[in-house]
Amino acid sequence: MDFTILSIIMLAIGIYGLLTNRQLLKVFISIEMIAIAATLNFVMLATPNGLSEALMILAFSVDTAVSAVILALLVIVSKRYGTGDLSKIISKQENEESEDEAQ
Amino acid sequence: MIFEILAIGLIVSSILALFLDEVVYSVAALSGTFLFTALLYYLNGAVYAAIFQFVVGIGTLAALFLSGEMLGEKSPKKASPAKTSGLIGAGILLSLPAIFLSVSDQTTIGPDIQIGEALWSLRGLDVLLQAIVILTTALGIGIVLYERRKK
Repeated sequence: MDFTILSIIMLAIGIYGLLTNRQLLKVFISIEMIAIAATLNFVMLATPNGLSEALMILAFSVDTAVSAVILALLVIVSKRYGTGDLSKIISKQENEESEDEAQ
Repeated sequence: MIFEILAIGLIVSSILALFLDEVVYSVAALSGTFLFTALLYYLNGAVYAAIFQFVVGIGTLAALFLSGEMLGEKSPKKASPAKTSGLIGAGILLSLPAIFLSVSDQTTIGPDIQIGEALWSLRGLDVLLQAIVILTTALGIGIVLYERRKK
């Protein structure tokens, strides 16, 4: 059982999801997967060591703050455009820009 | 054996979280991912990391369920059992390299010290990271307010 390969697989799944999903919440879940892959590798290579766990706790707190900011931005964007689909958001944004230019 | 089962569960639940159509089911699968990660940490001796992963995971899931209900669009087609079982099979296949291959030895990094000492000796880094987080949040809020004023 190799945790380095496990974390590489998790990272690959996260990056694949980030590149292929068009829904904002799925993009957020992909970012969470990438964060889990990084922390998994770190914890598994460094345990049992207090230093690694302390660094992990710092990483968790930063990750949580980042997640909260991303979720807030997702809610703002989807309320503004009325959808959670990235391609629809981009097309609506382009329509708005072309309307602004026409005015 | 338990590590292998947890690794398969972790990969399968993360694939289901990413590729199921319904957002609520995706979030439910993500809860499995958090749970399996916390269990892996706990069984590997990283008790504090497991507790933090569990707590952070519960918070994230609560926020995701709420925003998933708000943002998620109901898909007209129902999730087919064939697709779900295909995703589970793909997850089991993907987890096989982690079980059977090996690229590294388990090593410890740095001197073996207690978590309390480590947290105390890393307090400067902790303050710095929190300052970066607060600064980033303030910058983000500032940019949003500036854009709103410009409009």
